[in-house]
Amino acid sequence: MKRFSFFFALLMAGLLTSCTDVVDVDLPEPEPQLAVEGNITDQPGPYTIRLTRTGAYFTKDELPAVRGAQLTLADNEGTTETLRETAPGVYQTSQIRGKIGNHYTLTIQDGDQQYRALTEIKRTPGIDRLEQQIKTNEPGWDDGYYALYNGPELPGVGDYYRFKIWLNGELQNDPDDLVVRDDALVDGNYIGDIELNGKPLQVGDSVRVQLLSLPRDYYYFLNEMYTQINNVGLFSSPPANVRTNVLNLSATGPKAVGYFAGTAVRSARLTIQP
Amino acid sequence: MKIIRNLGLAAGLLLAAAPARSQQQARPEPRAVAGKATLSGYLRDAATGEPLVGASVFVKALGIGVNTDEKGFYALDLPTGPHTVTFQIIGYEPVNQPLNLTGDLTRSIRLSAARVQTQEVVVAGRRAEDNVKKTEMSVNRLDMKTVKLMPALLGEVDVVRSIQLLPGVTTVGEGASGFNVRGGGVDQNLILMDEIPVYNVSHLFGFFSAFNPDAVQDMTLYKGGIPARYGGRLSSLLDVKMRDGHQAERLAINGGIGLISSRLAVEAPLIKDRTSVALSARRSYGDLALKLIPEQRKNQAYFYDLNLKLSHRLSARDQLTVTGYRGRDVFNFADVFKNDWGNTGASARWTHQFSPRLFATFSGVIGQYDYGLGVPKGTQAFEWTSRLRNYTGKADFSYQLNAANTLSAGVSGTRYRFEPATVKPLNAESIFVSLKVDDQQAGEYAAYLDNEQTLSPRLQVQYGLRLSVFDFLGSGTAISDYVGAAGQRKDPANTRTAKNGSVVKRYANLEPRASLRYTLSETSSLKASYNRTTQYIHLISNTTAASPLDVWTPSTNNIRPERGDQVAVGYFRNFRGGVYEASAEVFGKTMSNQIDYVNGANTLLNKNLEGELLYGDGRAYGAEFFVKRSQGKLTGWVSYTLSRSERQIRGINADRWYPNKYDKTHNLSVVGMYQLSPRLTVSSNFAYGTGVATTFPNARFVYDGLVVPVVGGDARNNYRVPAYHRLDLGATLKNRPRPDSRWQSEWVFSVYNVYNRRNPYGIYFRQNEDNPRQTEAVRLSVFGSVIPSVSYNFNF
Repeated sequence: MKRFSFFFALLMAGLLTSCTDVVDVDLPEPEPQLAVEGNITDQPGPYTIRLTRTGAYFTKDELPAVRGAQLTLADNEGTTETLRETAPGVYQTSQIRGKIGNHYTLTIQDGDQQYRALTEIKRTPGIDRLEQQIKTNEPGWDDGYYALYNGPELPGVGDYYRFKIWLNGELQNDPDDLVVRDDALVDGNYIGDIELNGKPLQVGDSVRVQLLSLPRDYYYFLNEMYTQINNVGLFSSPPANVRTNVLNLSATGPKAVGYFAGTAVRSARLTIQP
Repeated sequence: MKIIRNLGLAAGLLLAAAPARSQQQARPEPRAVAGKATLSGYLRDAATGEPLVGASVFVKALGIGVNTDEKGFYALDLPTGPHTVTFQIIGYEPVNQPLNLTGDLTRSIRLSAARVQTQEVVVAGRRAEDNVKKTEMSVNRLDMKTVKLMPALLGEVDVVRSIQLLPGVTTVGEGASGFNVRGGGVDQNLILMDEIPVYNVSHLFGFFSAFNPDAVQDMTLYKGGIPARYGGRLSSLLDVKMRDGHQAERLAINGGIGLISSRLAVEAPLIKDRTSVALSARRSYGDLALKLIPEQRKNQAYFYDLNLKLSHRLSARDQLTVTGYRGRDVFNFADVFKNDWGNTGASARWTHQFSPRLFATFSGVIGQYDYGLGVPKGTQAFEWTSRLRNYTGKADFSYQLNAANTLSAGVSGTRYRFEPATVKPLNAESIFVSLKVDDQQAGEYAAYLDNEQTLSPRLQVQYGLRLSVFDFLGSGTAISDYVGAAGQRKDPANTRTAKNGSVVKRYANLEPRASLRYTLSETSSLKASYNRTTQYIHLISNTTAASPLDVWTPSTNNIRPERGDQVAVGYFRNFRGGVYEASAEVFGKTMSNQIDYVNGANTLLNKNLEGELLYGDGRAYGAEFFVKRSQGKLTGWVSYTLSRSERQIRGINADRWYPNKYDKTHNLSVVGMYQLSPRLTVSSNFAYGTGVATTFPNARFVYDGLVVPVVGGDARNNYRVPAYHRLDLGATLKNRPRPDSRWQSEWVFSVYNVYNRRNPYGIYFRQNEDNPRQTEAVRLSVFGSVIPSVSYNFNF
């Protein structure tokens, strides 16, 4: 869709003169909340969970790390382990191994508040390969090399995916690079020849793609997050808090934000050849 | 509305006063009087054949008189015998006609426009004293001649933008589709174009209106006191009347060339005095500019409208009118992406006069809104279509029981078919599968009875009752109930197949409507009204401005009809013999079953859409002040509204009341037009409004390297963007007419946003593009500069 936005931008520019500029806004000081960011995958560990406190929206400081919390991770096979704080606010596993189909429970004791997050690791179809293609004089595309994704999708609606792309080793991580999809429109079809880059590549450039399978609720989380961090314009949605699966065991206690998610991860890479 | 006539001010005042007196003196005639007969007929403009609305017909010697209705028709009860009947309306030479009444008599009269005496302009059509004398309140009328004089954005004369300058009307921002009336949503306005429902009033997302100015005669906005004849929407009725050939004397062509679009309209008699046709077309040409850029050559972006109206007089008592409309927006991005949308509709109306007192109109209407988008080639080739269509039949009767009572009654039936989304892959390599969100069907039926009654010379009342019934019908597909905690996304349960055409759920509502007018003096009155309205179809839109891809949904076993109750009280006063019409109204209204959405709701291509909806109540109240001057060199109005519009939805804003996004505490508009010389008219608009309500976050966290905002306390609309204000200027310069030619032309200049204010559409929060760790608040202004324009209009 990035490519169409140019077209629409031009269309608007031709007719109108819409503009954006940065303005000063006073916001009240927030109550700090526990923020959780962590994953367990079907790849070998250790798995990392990062705890911070939310900060003022405009703060230029790093968000403060939450030190000294007690974290335990358990799976449905009876394995339980306590995570070790390896750096301020960074907690790691040492033995538990993520497996497709397993369910996980993360418990966080932060001071006198106790939180719990549930997740699971869903099935993944895998990636067959990346291919390269030269486009010349194709409407809507600049001339040059493109990396194409090829892989199956599993029959049965209810699969959710995230795609992460690295160009020359650098993760593409602008707010609109957060790509999540459900399979309602492509169920069971072969996903062939889908361009991964919007701007053409050069010979020697490397492309890496990661396919993450997502639990439904995590898909909702990422989708809501995408909406909230790309929410500018005529058709913006009402700003609202994205969901979390980190719940305070006391209904009246402070709420946490963020997500602890299980994903299966597959990846593929390609270096553009002449 | 139909007339701008040059006329002496003194003469104007004199004429304006006369019908007022005659109406005052109208008395219910004792039914027993022997030798009574009815004189009836039509009053028309001698030159154009246009009906003269609100003209007075009276016998001075008896002090009896009536006014012509909206078709120019009158019926006057008189004793048999000789009389001198006077026919008159402001701006025309009056006619005194002696006649001897021996039985019922039909007498249609053509009045000639008054001779030019000075350069004063009278914008009449609706008589000034109607403001005080009529029972109706909360109603604003605009005729296209006024709208065309107002400064226009990029030269596009815009019905919807001019409505936004009326009291009680707001919008979420420039470029947003539609308008909000007295705290209601954009989908709560019933918009009828010669009875054809218009589901999307915009072109180009919302920047231009769907109404071609050349095709529109006038429009009336009912914000309250909605007649029992109309229903189906909560907040308002916008009745847009299309121009017809008006039994034109000759072929008339007019057109215009602007920066955005060009227009051409033809009005002609096909059979003199019997059949006429009006045809108009408009097309934008933004894509022609795209063709100048080599990379954009294959791209297309334009909109067009086609309007057709045929009028045919079958007999002295029968009139047939057929209207057709199609408007469309088209975007083609080479072979990569296509999108188009628009309204299509047609109506046929047959008006029959059973007797001088009994009229009936039978109508058949088809309305449609549809869109399509897709990728035509490659592995992502697909086509996505959506359509809503209605078929409506109506019969409306108007019966003048006696001089004191006029009854209206009617029935209507509508069949809806909703096709929310159908997605198809276009080739074998496409990654897409077929997906269909099931079609839905519904029937909406109504019957109403309404009476306008004069209780005393001071007190007139109008009261009526509308019964509406809505059937959500099966379509041979699965339906479900949606269960779960209030305020959260719900899951389908109890899924079963509903037989095609079977009634899945029936709703019935009684909608009382009432209004009264109490005359305080010749120039002032008090009015009050109450109405209940019910809305059975809903626009599912979770974005700031409604998007062309938003779909309508019927009330179902899960979605209940919206219901609104409104009370309004007003004081109406005319000054200086009707030169100034003023009103002050206060209103209060409550709305139930208002629809909102769970966070992150997916409203398109969603088979379980009903699970994403939240419900709650709405309330709105306010005061509106309006002063209008419609005579003299200076015309225009000043409108100020103080109001509030809020809702309370389970699951939003911690279940507390919050302001709607279109809530504006203060809303001021000043519209003025001044005729400097016979050739030059200048105009200006000024609009001021409290900034729209919006939600600001106050905290953040970081997830996967991206900064995510946190809204404290789950608040909704907890801040306001800065106030909106704007000044526009315009000028219309008529070219000197040449005596040997019928060709007339004019240049229209306008400057939009004269003092270059960057009015914020919204304030958004995001990461800095260059430094992702840094966050910023960004103001989006839809118009970031002064926008001048020029267009050229002609007619011959």
